[in-house]
Amino acid sequence: MTAPILDAQGLNYAYPGGVAALRGMNLSVQRGRRLALLGSNGCGKTTLLLHLNGTLRPGAGQVLIDGQPAGYDRASLAAWRGRVGLVLQEPDDQLFSATVYQDVSFGPLNQGLSEPDARERVREALAALDIAELAERATHLLSFGQKKRVAIAGVLAMQPQVLILDEPTAGLDAPGVTQLKAALERLQARGTTLVFSTHDVDLAYAWADDVAILGEGRLLRQGGTVATLADADLLAAAQLNTPTILTLAAALREPGRPWPGGQPPRTAEDLVACLGERHDPGRF
Amino acid sequence: MFPIDQYAWTHRWRGHHPAERAVLAGGMLLIAITAPPLATAPLVVLAMAGATVAGAGVPLAAWLRVMTIPAGFLLLSLPFLAVSLDLTDGVALTVSAAGAWLAVAVGLRSLAAVSALAFLTLTTPVAELVPWLRRVGVPQAVVEIALLIYRLLFILADCADATRHAQEARLGYSTTRRGIRSLGLLAGTLLTRALARTRRLEIGLAARGFEGELRVLASERTLSRPRLAAVAALLFTVAALGLTLDRALH
Ligand SMILES: Nc1ncnc2c1ncn2[C@@H]1O[C@H](COP(=O)(O)OP(=O)(O)O)[C@@H](O)[C@H]1O
Ligand SMILES: [Mg+2]
Repeated sequence: MTAPILDAQGLNYAYPGGVAALRGMNLSVQRGRRLALLGSNGCGKTTLLLHLNGTLRPGAGQVLIDGQPAGYDRASLAAWRGRVGLVLQEPDDQLFSATVYQDVSFGPLNQGLSEPDARERVREALAALDIAELAERATHLLSFGQKKRVAIAGVLAMQPQVLILDEPTAGLDAPGVTQLKAALERLQARGTTLVFSTHDVDLAYAWADDVAILGEGRLLRQGGTVATLADADLLAAAQLNTPTILTLAAALREPGRPWPGGQPPRTAEDLVACLGERHDPGRF
Repeated sequence: MFPIDQYAWTHRWRGHHPAERAVLAGGMLLIAITAPPLATAPLVVLAMAGATVAGAGVPLAAWLRVMTIPAGFLLLSLPFLAVSLDLTDGVALTVSAAGAWLAVAVGLRSLAAVSALAFLTLTTPVAELVPWLRRVGVPQAVVEIALLIYRLLFILADCADATRHAQEARLGYSTTRRGIRSLGLLAGTLLTRALARTRRLEIGLAARGFEGELRVLASERTLSRPRLAAVAALLFTVAALGLTLDRALH
């Protein structure tokens, strides 16, 4: 296995005032995957993400980028942030310009790109999120979902290798979530590694390649989504529910029978497909 | 929340180069100030109202609202121009024909000038003018602060609205005394929220490589020759028509 593109090892962090937010946190981000950080409120997801782009510096432990310890001097941080993009949970915390176009141009200019190159980046980022028609709009006159996509475009325009999103679906309606997932899937198909935090177990179960379960500032376990989220004790320890689809599927399965297709259903569509293959009416 | 700002962002000519509107408004302003007012000023007002309402599609009511304040101010102050104070022989207030004529002329000129500025105000967001400041030599830091204030203004206004509604829902403004107390609490909340928000904004900016300079690109808009020609034609027509009418009046 190649070195993880990002690797957090034994991070400790206490906020001024003494709240210990991370206590020996570990995480490894594999290239090209879609990794969900799952945990209840206050377990340290945001704090961990802020360490992954060098915003916060750990009291103990280290962050490795491609196997190399990260530096915190100006030049290293600039390079780090060019490779690892962070999208904050609240888009209003990130959008500072009057218009969408101006805001998205900010990152590329900071990377020292020429004006034509920066304009090309803006065009690509807006197209990738399907918001080209918002370019001329005022940022303060956008809907929440639109703001969210503009905030992502602003980071995407820097063409990071890893895109980190803090609670990307929080506050979005169902079509907003669907659009966002589609946009992120397109990015991943082009090779971008995705890391996102969420307390939505169903979202992680249906959509993540891998999950990392956090509890009280620690990593409880990291692994493939289906295998990890099938562990009820682990989820209980992290104060998380079992994914709804998995609960339903387990109740509907004939005891002892293998899952149709060899793995439990992950989405409502999977579940319906399983029901189509049933032998005993009401079970599969 | 700020209706003028909202029209400025959403009117029909929003996609056009702002310089086209600046030339139109600037030209009309020049005509208003230099040409004989009696005939020209009404033409300028008419042209600017037409451009704002029929052209850019800003509702007439919005244009009238923007015009009323300066117009009312003019109405109140102009009588003082018509009256002259004579102190040679005690205190004597007289209304002279020359004074009255001056008041009317100044009033018309001002109204015409205001209509040109109202057009610009209703069709050009403040934020779009700010980058211009940099070009005319205002220091970078001042321009950046102005832009950030513009942005935070709306966020804080939203926050103030939400907090006030929450207070109202819990009867925070049911009496004057309670209202004053609630308002004080609101101010405190806004301050702490503003501080917290600026700290998070800093994190977001740093994540995008901020190193002390807020540089952004304005989107490229091309000047349209046909539209500039139309602007020139309109300016010329108003000036020529005004001068002709003026000659006819004398
Ligand atoms: N700016 C801050 N100052 C002090 N304590 C904080 C701050 N931000 C978060 N914390 C605390 O750190 C812990 C982890 O918070 P956070 O990383 O935001 O969790 P999550 O994102 O998983 O909800 C919480 O106990 C929280 O109260
Ligand atoms: Mg959080």
